[in-house]
Amino acid sequence: MELSNIEKLLEKYFEGETTISEEKELKVYFTRETVPSHLERYRDLFQYFSEESTVTATKELTLNIDRKRFVYTWIGIAASVALIAGVFLTRSTPSTTADTFEDPEIALQETKKILNMVSQYMNEGKQELVYLKEFENTKNKFIK
Amino acid sequence: MKERAFITLTNGFKDKLFRLAKRLLVSNEEAEDATQEVLLKLWKSKGKISEYKNVEAFAMTMTKNYCFDKLKAKETANLKIVHSNYKDERPSLQREVEAKDSLDWVGKILNDLPEQQRMIIQLRDIEQYDNAEIADMLKINETAVRVALSRGRKRIREELLKKHNYGIV
Repeated sequence: MELSNIEKLLEKYFEGETTISEEKELKVYFTRETVPSHLERYRDLFQYFSEESTVTATKELTLNIDRKRFVYTWIGIAASVALIAGVFLTRSTPSTTADTFEDPEIALQETKKILNMVSQYMNEGKQELVYLKEFENTKNKFIK
Repeated sequence: MKERAFITLTNGFKDKLFRLAKRLLVSNEEAEDATQEVLLKLWKSKGKISEYKNVEAFAMTMTKNYCFDKLKAKETANLKIVHSNYKDERPSLQREVEAKDSLDWVGKILNDLPEQQRMIIQLRDIEQYDNAEIADMLKINETAVRVALSRGRKRIREELLKKHNYGIV
């Protein structure tokens, strides 16, 4: 490209009026080996621009925090399953009382015997309460 | 959206996010963190991705906002850490070193510009977005983009001229 053209483009460039394609032309021009000495100083600028556009991050960028959350979700699920299983498995099954008699007839009679004994004691105790009637009698004497 | 699809989508512009972050934050590590943060945020709102008309521009805006937050937080901190990205320079030919040096010098000039101009030059001269796209990303109007661009470029020219005349840094 003609030198005067480049100078004109440079002027436009510093006014911020060049288009992207004109700027590309400038970049191409200034990355060549030979540039007139009075334009030499701009060479660094355009070389810097084209060099900078190739800089990349050295560290691999990942979405690892999300993965961590994913792990936590599964740990949570595993914990709740373990808890529920634990509750169901360790809960003591209600102990059924073992039969003490083989024959229901004997069982009935034994039960009756015990109930009789209980009622007998009850009646013995009740006889002591006869005195309570005396209170009733005395009370009736005063309150008619 | 599945993770794989998301990664293919963001692979197209994640380097641009990184470079913008690096331009603003200077430090490589911080820029990597910023890119990571922005991508994660984007991933979390992946349900809404189809609603955005331009995911790339949206991600750029997110990066800009994130970096500005970082810079603001740094300003208020008592301790300032200057990142210089120390590198182990391999011995090379004098010429190569000189060339490298003068390119670094351009980078230094660029990084001394006000943030707005720095960002616009990054987006325009390095990433080659057009002014309308930049205006959309930065939420300013196109004229402001053009003015900032011109000011930034002229400032760089002045500094280059100074350096060229004195020949010393």
